[in-house]
Amino acid sequence: MYQSKSGFFKKYVDEVGLNPNVGTWSWFLHRITGVILVLYLFMHFFVLGSSLAGGETFNKWLSTVQNPVFHFLEIGLAAVVAFHLLNGLRITITDFFLATKAHKAIFWIAMIIFLILMIITLVVFLPRIFSPH
Amino acid sequence: MNQKPGKGSAYGWLLQRITGIFLAFFLILHFQVLHFTARWKIDFDLVTQRLESTGWVIFYLIFVPAGFFHAFNGAWQVIHDYRPKSRTQKAVKSLLWILGIALSAYGYYLIVTFTKGA
Repeated sequence: MYQSKSGFFKKYVDEVGLNPNVGTWSWFLHRITGVILVLYLFMHFFVLGSSLAGGETFNKWLSTVQNPVFHFLEIGLAAVVAFHLLNGLRITITDFFLATKAHKAIFWIAMIIFLILMIITLVVFLPRIFSPH
Repeated sequence: MNQKPGKGSAYGWLLQRITGIFLAFFLILHFQVLHFTARWKIDFDLVTQRLESTGWVIFYLIFVPAGFFHAFNGAWQVIHDYRPKSRTQKAVKSLLWILGIALSAYGYYLIVTFTKGA
């Protein structure tokens, strides 16, 4: 992996195309979710920063980000976090316990846990989208 | 190849995993408290009430720098895969360290703000 010197995005298409296996796909998704989370962190701290202008300003911002549209987006955020977290643990276990041979099996175990977490998330979050506060 | 062999260290690799393990537990707790058990509407009072507890202050004091280290060290790994020239590497690394330290300091300042309450 990491051999392609082609363009900014084409690099990723090349990597996945050359070796379309569990290891490459999980690497690709780990990277995408990681970049999304870094960008999210900036937005998160932007909203938190409004607290410097006082509780009322903070509450105004919080109301803006607590409507059905944002609750829907939060399901996406939960999915991004859950994937990055579980695949990150898979990478750590694989590295620390020299379990390279088991990395595919660990990936599918992680994905089963991912599905369970997403079902729980949907059960909790869907009512928030469809019923007003 | 612009990178000289043998110049790297494994600290970035190791710390990414250590902060990752911390963040895994912290993020689950963060989601649990703010999205699953909390009342639907989160507001200023809910945050300041939680920050009255020393345990939660310590939680955030670790959470904030661990998060920013993991975020910017991860960003560095993404940039590093494009094999920038060694001068660019130094500039980007410095920039990411400054960003990480500045944002962690900003986070600490926000913790103090929430601790003081309205």
